[in-house]
Amino acid sequence: MKRGLFVLVSFFAVARVSAAAELPIHGFLQAASAYRLTRPAACPRPQRLACAEDFVLGEGRARLELSPRGDRWSLMTKGELTWDAVGGEVDGELREGYLDLKFPALDVRAGRQVITWGVGDLVFITDVFPRDWVAFISGLPLEYLKKGSDAVSATGHWAGTSLQVVLIPRFEADTLPAAGGRLAFHDPMAAIERRRTDDPSPALERTEAGLRLFGNIGGWDASLYAYRGFFHSPAGEPEPGPRLRLFFPPLSVYGASVQGAALGGVVSVEAGYYDSRSDRSGGNPAVENSSGRLLAGYQRELVPDLTASGQYSVQVMQDHDAYMSARGPGMAKRAEARHVLTLRLTQLLLHQTLRLGLFALASPNEGDWYAGPEARYQITDAFSATLGVNAFGGPRRTEYGQFEGNSNVYAVARYAF
Amino acid sequence: MKRMLCGWIVGLTMVAGAATAPAQAPGGEEIMRRSHLAMYYPGEDMRARITMRLVSRDGGERVREMTMTRRTVKAGGEQRYFIFFHRPPDVRDLAFLVWKYPGRDDDRWLYVPALKLVRRIAASDKHTSFVGSDFSYEDVSGREPEDDAHKLLRDDTVVGRDAWVVESVPRESGSADFSRKLSWIDKATGLPLKEEYYDRRGDQVRVFTAEELKEVQGFWTVTRRVMKNVQSGHRSEAVLADVRYNQKLSPDLFSERALRAPPVELTR
Repeated sequence: MKRGLFVLVSFFAVARVSAAAELPIHGFLQAASAYRLTRPAACPRPQRLACAEDFVLGEGRARLELSPRGDRWSLMTKGELTWDAVGGEVDGELREGYLDLKFPALDVRAGRQVITWGVGDLVFITDVFPRDWVAFISGLPLEYLKKGSDAVSATGHWAGTSLQVVLIPRFEADTLPAAGGRLAFHDPMAAIERRRTDDPSPALERTEAGLRLFGNIGGWDASLYAYRGFFHSPAGEPEPGPRLRLFFPPLSVYGASVQGAALGGVVSVEAGYYDSRSDRSGGNPAVENSSGRLLAGYQRELVPDLTASGQYSVQVMQDHDAYMSARGPGMAKRAEARHVLTLRLTQLLLHQTLRLGLFALASPNEGDWYAGPEARYQITDAFSATLGVNAFGGPRRTEYGQFEGNSNVYAVARYAF
Repeated sequence: MKRMLCGWIVGLTMVAGAATAPAQAPGGEEIMRRSHLAMYYPGEDMRARITMRLVSRDGGERVREMTMTRRTVKAGGEQRYFIFFHRPPDVRDLAFLVWKYPGRDDDRWLYVPALKLVRRIAASDKHTSFVGSDFSYEDVSGREPEDDAHKLLRDDTVVGRDAWVVESVPRESGSADFSRKLSWIDKATGLPLKEEYYDRRGDQVRVFTAEELKEVQGFWTVTRRVMKNVQSGHRSEAVLADVRYNQKLSPDLFSERALRAPPVELTR
């Protein structure tokens, strides 16, 4: 609440300064709500709110954006004030706040920033940067899936080739459904209610680092990636007490992607290797094994204003035998390879003011799926309304199957200025 | 939203160079070839602030505003476009990059600022509406004259200007969203003053009119153009302001770097 007030006061302060300096102010007011379509089958005690609450989302949100620009610099600030009607809380957040400096062959960005890598559509391999899955499951607009990182990024450009170096001194984890929240999820350690989370400490040697080398080769956008840091979703390990220790195991990712026009559409390919540095033998059941990942996608405009795209991706566990012999009772029994297929259809109508979309994802071998039909109408240039469904299904220990009880219908209204 | 933006492509180049009127009337093919250069290829590069109004039959209005830059790599051939959107709010700060090649599909990229995402856009269909307007991608970046057979029909005048009337028929049916087009080409500037598009049944579908011509740095430019769908009653009006040619735009402007961090003079 205090933080919310602070942000509110800051909003007005910024608005005054901005008006004085004749800086354009932008932002939006947004109301969003999501109603549960199905009840979770059963909720363990720490998740009882998920079984009790019909609304997975009910909030009002105000954003203020200020972005002064000079010839060699620019500043971006996006602040948000959120009123959570379900929980009755007000909170403020700086979604992005960074300074850009431009040199002849170098761009530097410092501050809280969203970093996006890779060519996947809701399938992520080299994009290891933090995500908010709670926002996604709850039906907030897609931009809320990406979280900002407090980082310094420098990109050098030489002769058509660019190299980006990212340093993230403060670790930011993915936001996932957690005990005490409104979302139900599969928790193999549900019996242990006492928990603590080890944040990777902000020590120098714990700074996350990323490298991306990219350029256009023969009409194809090609990138090489390297990342050294941590898994962004926690691993859990029981301790005496009993207590569950949640921690973020070390991770390195090496990958490559290409994207270009081919076969009458756009072809994307991305591959990566996840090196789970603290569990290279695969014998620790708490820590994700090393894996190889591959993604191939194709997008095409079928007729004017109707676009279809599809993806196939596979994730192959490196030490499946070790995983099988080490996994504990109650833990998911995962296959050596997880195959995933996705489909996206987008139809634009009424002079592109009405957008009907469908995104569907399914794993043919693990049996879980997600479907997200959505209609968005731009009532005027400033007002938009969105209605959609997030439907999850499949075995309860699978990636998307565990969210079945969170399936919802959502509505978002936004006034942007 | 993402797909909606796919519609937002390439730059309105309603621009023209001064074509000298020859003593004897050239043939339809020659008139259209010159008109294509006058409309889409004047200068080495150009930039303009474009305000587009989309007006429905009942008067409902939507406004799209953008800064467009264009650089010609080869006259009559390859071009690059960079478009930065100012409004409406849901596309503000969005940037579009197009590498246009004659004879094959364009390369198109879209930068989505909220996600810091540069994405390739499928560019297979050039008849898709540009930003939801009555102009198609092809209308704004130019249909290659070789794709149609052109025949000079007669002389006419349009708002006091002498014009040739040329009939164009696609060489491959299905390659265009019209089966027949009539163009009124200004004899003095080579610019199209009016165009009528007909469907397979011979019914008129769309009508283009150049409503304002200005000479900018020696290049005649259509600074106000209207495309009306006579069947739906919807029309779109594009106004070009602050037109500048030969700014010596850097090739670096037409790159991923610029998508992610556009030059400040394009964003104001």
